[in-house]
Amino acid sequence: MVIAVLLVFSIFATLNPRVFLSPINLQNMGVAAPEIGILAIAMMLAMLTGGIDLSLVAIANLSAITVVMLYSAVASTDQALAESLTIPILLAGIAMGVACGVLNGVLVSGVGITPILATLGTMQILNGIAIVVTGGSTLYGAPQALTDFGRTAIGPVPLLFVVFIVIAVVVALFISKTPLGRKIQLQGANPVAARFSGISGRTVLMSTYTMGGTLAGIAGVLFLTRNPTASADYGSSYVLLVIVIAVLGGTNPNGGFASVAGVVLATMALQIVSSGFTAIRLSSYEYAIAQGVILIGVMILDYLSAQRRLRKSRGAPPRVPTPPPTPLAVTKDSEQS
Amino acid sequence: MDTLRRLRGPNNEGILALVLLSLFVTMSTLSPAFFTVGTAFSILRSATVPLIFALAVLIVIVSGGIDVSFAAVAIFSAYTAVSFAITTAPELPALVIIALALAIGAVLGLINGVVIARYRLPTLIVTLGTQGLFVGVMYTYIGATYYAQLPPSLAALSSLSVLDFRTETGRASLHVMAVVAIGLSVLVWWMLTKTMFGRSLYAIGGDAEAARRAGFRVMRTQILMYVLVGVLAAIAGIAHMVMGRSANPQDLVGNELDIIAAVVLGGASIFGGRGSVLGTVMGVLLIQVINNSLLLAGVPSAWLRAAVGFLLIVGVGVQAVTARKKARRVHTLDEPKAEHVVKGGAS
Repeated sequence: MVIAVLLVFSIFATLNPRVFLSPINLQNMGVAAPEIGILAIAMMLAMLTGGIDLSLVAIANLSAITVVMLYSAVASTDQALAESLTIPILLAGIAMGVACGVLNGVLVSGVGITPILATLGTMQILNGIAIVVTGGSTLYGAPQALTDFGRTAIGPVPLLFVVFIVIAVVVALFISKTPLGRKIQLQGANPVAARFSGISGRTVLMSTYTMGGTLAGIAGVLFLTRNPTASADYGSSYVLLVIVIAVLGGTNPNGGFASVAGVVLATMALQIVSSGFTAIRLSSYEYAIAQGVILIGVMILDYLSAQRRLRKSRGAPPRVPTPPPTPLAVTKDSEQS
Repeated sequence: MDTLRRLRGPNNEGILALVLLSLFVTMSTLSPAFFTVGTAFSILRSATVPLIFALAVLIVIVSGGIDVSFAAVAIFSAYTAVSFAITTAPELPALVIIALALAIGAVLGLINGVVIARYRLPTLIVTLGTQGLFVGVMYTYIGATYYAQLPPSLAALSSLSVLDFRTETGRASLHVMAVVAIGLSVLVWWMLTKTMFGRSLYAIGGDAEAARRAGFRVMRTQILMYVLVGVLAAIAGIAHMVMGRSANPQDLVGNELDIIAAVVLGGASIFGGRGSVLGTVMGVLLIQVINNSLLLAGVPSAWLRAAVGFLLIVGVGVQAVTARKKARRVHTLDEPKAEHVVKGGAS
């Protein structure tokens, strides 16, 4: 994955160095990556249990809308008060995400609906509510402190990117070091075995989807640091992108295996491809094609390498696992363009 | 109690019919204008495209998959065929344009099928990928122009009605495409229940590994099925353009959930192996009638989206809860009562 990131980076750097390597572009990538990356980490958590969460983007939008509406409601009477209430307002936005996550968790673990359909349904409901609340238009206004936060940088590194890395590290530690994280992995690897070894599937799924909702809420607040507007249909193309990133980062859609580092690197790679496409003047539709090709290509290569491993282990004693085939897919795709 | 259970049908079709019927009765008493042939035909008209889509989705769900790329396939094949006709050969007969669209739909379906069946990948994620791929290819290489006028031969189809008569409240006409949709429903029903191909779809949806060991050619059936789904989607795309009298590349994609919700409401199990055309038809009608009634009742259209999502959750929730109850019953098979229940459910 590291190789893939370096590879796509150098490809675009040579194709159009003047635009691609400009400090503004590099900073933009650092600022744009966190919101998608955090959503991808949330998706990864759901996939780790063998599920999927299609409602993440809708949750993020709803929490951004909550923040903007609360802020403008207070600001219309007292601007200074609204600024001073920044932190409670942001917490309310994140709380919205938590509430949506709990709703998903109840549907998946309590009622027992398949994650695909449960989150497809909540996606539609939350999206519908967002349309009703906003009247379908874009809302303006967010705490000034938030916008300032989005512009701050420690040296050359945007503060937002630091936040992203911190969240990634926390989630990574959570998965590998805490008992609950272990249980999530086991649940995804084999739900039946997990149940017989005394793991409560309900608690695990409940906490996974709640956490997903929380992360989506945080991502929604981060939307506002870049652009103090919120609307119901922001980032509708992110649903596919977030799945692409999670799968590209080595998450097994059938559950049981995932790596936060892989997802972070995949986020960077996709962000580089996206900025690179803009730098060499390809349209967003061509980027959509690339996403589709990368997603399917990676899954096919994963399948093929798994088959090869299987065949090898049948004939000879198990060997060192083959390196992830991801770089190939990315190069093939970028060369096509 | 037993007759009640029989009325319910294998996939809850009875309950669905009851809900539909009561909805009709309440609507008719609330507004007498509702109960006319004209309304019936207009609901049928608005249900045409969703119904054809739903048949395609039903086939996929029966086989244990889930497809979200069908709308992209539909708009891709119909738009490509129509824009080809408009830009290079405006005098092409309608049949040739339709055949072209169907062929494109078949090819796109083949792509889905090969990727899914050959590499045994999760269908949702593959079709999410191909959805982006198809839409991207269409905008980039085929065009994004909105055509307000169809080629003359197709435009002639737009005003073609099978039944057309005057009633007290106005004219009532049954569009030719609605008849096509009804014909396709019968065809898919026949295919699912009477042919070996249909049987193997149910078998694969029940348990792919068991089907493989029982001698079904799983990969071939799956690929063939996705080709068929592509063709059905292309028909829906053409029907949409003919009835809307225009070719807009931005149509259709984004409303996939309504269709999936209708099929799942119609009793198809998301785990595969269960589902019927009758249930699907009623599921589609239910969503259309509810949309229609909500609008008539003055509910803002923005709520429709949330309403469909809510319906989906309720529909699947009921399914999940009953499935759980059933699973509990299987454990107590030694009780004579429980056995009786299982038999009653199967008949």
